[in-house]
Amino acid sequence: MDEQELVRQIQEGDEMAFAEIVKIYKNRIVNYLYQLTGDYQKAVELSQETFMRVFFKANKYKPIAPFSSWIYTIALNLARTEIRRAQKVSMVYLDDLQNIHKSGAFVSNPADSGLSRNLRQALNSLHPRYKIPVVLKDMEGFSLEEIAQVMKRPIGTIKARINRGRNYLKKALEGAMRDKSEAPKNEES
Amino acid sequence: MKEFNLLEKLERAKAPPDFEQKVLALLSERKEKKRVRKRQLSFSFAGAFAFLLVFFVVFNVFILQKKEPMDLAGVKKGMPAAFGRGGDLEMRDYIPIIETVDYSNERQSLTHEPKTIYILEQVSENILKEIKY
Repeated sequence: MDEQELVRQIQEGDEMAFAEIVKIYKNRIVNYLYQLTGDYQKAVELSQETFMRVFFKANKYKPIAPFSSWIYTIALNLARTEIRRAQKVSMVYLDDLQNIHKSGAFVSNPADSGLSRNLRQALNSLHPRYKIPVVLKDMEGFSLEEIAQVMKRPIGTIKARINRGRNYLKKALEGAMRDKSEAPKNEES
Repeated sequence: MKEFNLLEKLERAKAPPDFEQKVLALLSERKEKKRVRKRQLSFSFAGAFAFLLVFFVVFNVFILQKKEPMDLAGVKKGMPAAFGRGGDLEMRDYIPIIETVDYSNERQSLTHEPKTIYILEQVSENILKEIKY
């Protein structure tokens, strides 16, 4: 069934249509929020909240933009709030940390720990201003127009931010590779 | 030509297996909360309205009740009783004059009746009784 038709049914309070939308978008939204927050547990919670907003605010959706842009905008707003909150509260209780590990947090594949780990570190250190368009473009496959809609910025700005973000990632990876190649030499000397 | 994409190398996170069930459970929980909040809100409005109504009635009946002519003339309760019993000297100097003015009658008198102002004066020294018209 067409997404627009599903949203129209959600607007009438149809839970089956809502379940269908959750099924379609769950992995994309969880991954998107995971890339933005760097915390899998938080990404899952925010994804649930995103879908709640989709259901309760469905009447605010206007079919002039694709549904995907709308749902990603909701997720982005929630992620921004969370990032801002996390910057203010940087203290984590030990109990919470233990709970996160017990609750089956996302664990990356240890087989590709090299490049992938460096890339993850570089992405996490990237400012959200650049990280968001880079993730939307390179991971979620959005067009520049769609990213501009999600971020509510002109296309030129989005293009520039993507270029700067990519360059930063390249440099960060090159730096990590250089450090890695220099490390054994230092140990030998 | 396909551009070089660094993030292709990055592992994609997936939703946990029970994600859909959790979302649907959360949805029914939120719906119930919303229903309860709506009911509470309607009760609050009804309560606030009832309170305002009671306040209005009490204010009108007990506080803004119509003042008697005695009150308008500034005669305190108990003052007339002191008159005839040799009470306070200053009180004796008083001759309470009760004047009532009915504006509706005055307006009518413009056309039908001669202009008359009634001045009611207490002449006896007995206990003052309210004059009823």
